[in-house]
Amino acid sequence: MTNRATYACNSPAHDLSRRSFLAGTAGALGSLSFGNFLHGAAAGKLEKDQKRVLVIWLSGGVSQLETWDPKPGTNTGGPFQTIETSVPGVHICELLPHTAKQMHRMALVRGINTIEDDHGKGAVIMHTGRRQEPGMTYPHLGSVCAKMLGSDRNPLPGYIHVTPRGNGGVNAADSAFLGPRYASISLDNGQAPANITRPTELNESSDAERNALRLRASERFLKKRRTADTEAYTHSYDQAAQLMRQKDLFDVSKEPAKYADMYGKHDFGRHCLMARRLLEGGATFVKVTHSNYDTHHENFDFHIEQLGEFDQPFAALLEDLHQRGLLSSTLVVVMSEFGRTPNINRNYGRDHWSRAWSVALAGCGIKGGAVSGKTNANGTAVTDRMVHGGHLFHTYLKAVGLDPKKNFYIDQRPIPMADPKASVISEVLA
Amino acid sequence: MPQRWFLLSVSLFVCAASAEAVAPPAVRSSAGAKAGGTEPLHRTIDRLVSAPKDFAQFDAGPAPDGEFLRRAYLDLTGTIPTATVARAFLKDASPTKRQFLIDGLLASPEHSRHLANVFDVMLMERRADRLVPRAAWHSYLRDAFAANKPWDELAREILASNGADPKTRPAAKFFLERGEPHLLTRDIGRLFLGMNLQCCQCHDHPRIEDYRQEHYYGIFAFIGRTTVLNAKGTGVISEKADGETTFQSVFDPAKVTKTSLPRVPGGKGLADTVVPKDKLYVVAPTAGAAGVPTYSRRARLAPEVTRADYEPFRRNIANRLWAHMLGRGLVHPLDMDYPGNQPSHAELLDALSADIAARKFDMRGFMREIGLSQTYARSSALPAGVKETDAPLYATALLKPLTPEQFGFALMQATGLTDSIRQSQGKTATEQSLYTALSPNLAPFIRAFGSPAGTPQGFDATVDQALFLANGPTLRSWLTPRAGNLTDRLLKLAGNDAVAEELYLSILTRLPDAEERKEVADFLTSRTKDRSAALQDLAWALLTSTEFRFNH
Repeated sequence: MTNRATYACNSPAHDLSRRSFLAGTAGALGSLSFGNFLHGAAAGKLEKDQKRVLVIWLSGGVSQLETWDPKPGTNTGGPFQTIETSVPGVHICELLPHTAKQMHRMALVRGINTIEDDHGKGAVIMHTGRRQEPGMTYPHLGSVCAKMLGSDRNPLPGYIHVTPRGNGGVNAADSAFLGPRYASISLDNGQAPANITRPTELNESSDAERNALRLRASERFLKKRRTADTEAYTHSYDQAAQLMRQKDLFDVSKEPAKYADMYGKHDFGRHCLMARRLLEGGATFVKVTHSNYDTHHENFDFHIEQLGEFDQPFAALLEDLHQRGLLSSTLVVVMSEFGRTPNINRNYGRDHWSRAWSVALAGCGIKGGAVSGKTNANGTAVTDRMVHGGHLFHTYLKAVGLDPKKNFYIDQRPIPMADPKASVISEVLA
Repeated sequence: MPQRWFLLSVSLFVCAASAEAVAPPAVRSSAGAKAGGTEPLHRTIDRLVSAPKDFAQFDAGPAPDGEFLRRAYLDLTGTIPTATVARAFLKDASPTKRQFLIDGLLASPEHSRHLANVFDVMLMERRADRLVPRAAWHSYLRDAFAANKPWDELAREILASNGADPKTRPAAKFFLERGEPHLLTRDIGRLFLGMNLQCCQCHDHPRIEDYRQEHYYGIFAFIGRTTVLNAKGTGVISEKADGETTFQSVFDPAKVTKTSLPRVPGGKGLADTVVPKDKLYVVAPTAGAAGVPTYSRRARLAPEVTRADYEPFRRNIANRLWAHMLGRGLVHPLDMDYPGNQPSHAELLDALSADIAARKFDMRGFMREIGLSQTYARSSALPAGVKETDAPLYATALLKPLTPEQFGFALMQATGLTDSIRQSQGKTATEQSLYTALSPNLAPFIRAFGSPAGTPQGFDATVDQALFLANGPTLRSWLTPRAGNLTDRLLKLAGNDAVAEELYLSILTRLPDAEERKEVADFLTSRTKDRSAALQDLAWALLTSTEFRFNH
């Protein structure tokens, strides 16, 4: 039975549907037997030293008190207990039993203060590492990674966004001055990019013939005049053809059935499986959105549901990436636009809170088991190692082997890749 | 009769604009002219462009007829000609046919429409419509260009309108959709004066001596007292009668605070008119009413910026119109005009700037002169053995990627969608009715090829664009046979050679050469079983070829 809850923040992005608690999500993940290590064509796609990034975007603002920095038994802690994790001394909320078993691969940053309670502006900080400025737009982490880690030879778009409700198109604003090539492409509910399938009326041989004609016609023209722009144009068709050949990458039903079980048969589970498939297939940056965590009402019930959906696939993803030898070269980030208030409001909800919250990391360049930052007893303030979005951005870039102190250049004007006033959170870096 | 054929496809109701050349106001040229003589601008252009000593060896010579025809159509009307027009132009032996073409296109309603699109994108940079509907703004621009409203007058209307008067409200779109004074300061500098002063909000430009905070805040001071009042969704500019513009430099450890009066870069500060304290407002600002002060700093912006003797204003428009026709500003980028970034042809830009002011900002006359020059008519094919990097600029014409609008309309014309719609509208067809029917088809092109909102239109070739053209439904549906369209016409032709001609004239605005004719014939012979599909595949190949994608 589904009811639409319309009260979360009144914005269209926050339509919420209360879903029934999925059967089986509370069950144990069981033993994962990933006997098949990466081999063959897939392995060939992974070049030595190739780094990639996976962001799990918990849209709406996940509660740090119901996840990474619980405060049981306090006036702000809420009803849940903590559980031990695979790292002695590190406890997280009991709503994440599978993730707890992966903690030795993860690091937590608990001292975040981004001083921004607005969804849009908070999202800007977390995606770009900077506060929103009038007259200057900075590129997303995904676009920076697509440019700095990706290769022009790669037919896959550099920045892929798997989202429950996307526009199936290119979001040109994401890449700012880096240009449309590094913009994100939204895969609506995990569907393949738009127009990736040849129309049914056109068979493969006709398509090949017409492309041959196109190339010959173009070559005749290019004999007289060849520029960087003409090259880019003809190349885009090569990329399109390569992407079409790889369209199965976007089809999770091609995975053996056991993975549907391991990841879960719900949307987020399938999206995580698609993310693994894309990363394995050579994607540079994949962001998976899970919605909706904007729990102004019924914070605890909603977190049971949402984290119930999140926990198993996320743990499966880490384990799967590890088994395939990809985790050490894939940075994983779990983040939101902000956290939630320690204060519980009269609707059993928590509101927007950016003064003391957490982000979880794993994978490439990250020191497993590390915890940076402390908050006070009831989570109302950061008491140790306070950081903001700029520090996180430095840390992500450094983790994948980039130098965050370097500049981009627009028309000779230097633009620092990361906020020059911030620096890496070395405690969580390997 | 022969000189009027090009009007057939342009509009059914062409006003009796003269096709005779009207002598443009002569421009006194600088060094090189006969003493006391005057030189038409197009000759000045050619003289100064071909000035380098080695120019002749790199000169690509005039573009072939088909190339010139296509280029003029795209630059002046935003689309390509029909096959009928192309055929007639190629056959026409008149030595003045190119001049008549330019004149005819400039007089056409399609020209006004196209310039409206060009200036909309230039001034609004695809910002979302919030307060002024795009249709009203677009009509306003179209009417302005149809009347050949001078640029200074148009600019004054855009910079002066506060949105309160419904008659002038469309012109206020530039201000209203931006609203915020810092954003306005930046874009007034960039788009009206060719100066990107963005850095100077916080400090003098670290590398460009001529861009300083005082320049930025001089512009800011005109509009620093304004906000957009959006009571009940009206969206009107409200101005206070007080408020000083002050600034500090983030690089200044002493944090000295400076003040600025309204002042255009390089100009004098404009002192406020003193008004008695009880008469400060014509309409006092309230929650529901936009403030109208007795003395308005904002009202001084338009006349000050658009003075005919204010060099950055006239230089900017001369440079932008040149870039529109030739593919690159003499100052490049268009909003980085400062002494350290010299124009490619400094003397030429001076001449263009003086000319457009002398002809009182008559843009049509100015563009006509460019269109009549040999420089504009030059071929884009590099001479044999010449490397692009060695050749002087404009020795060979530059390639210009089609804008999203040009690409959409050109594809509609090439596939014959335009012909088909015109045919179905019959006697009721007008430029307006065709535009109303066709312009909604631009949406997927703007989505796929349009630059992000708030940025100038650029070029990038992305994989999603290629997928859209290869597999998307739009192009596919336009190629499906329908009464009067290209595939329909091709299906009715018996011989493969006739098909080749119609194909190339309709899509590439030229005749096929022997190799191309043979290729068409061979291909159709190999696909006799599915001739319709084969014709569509042939057409697709040419529509997606590099030759079509670029304006050459």
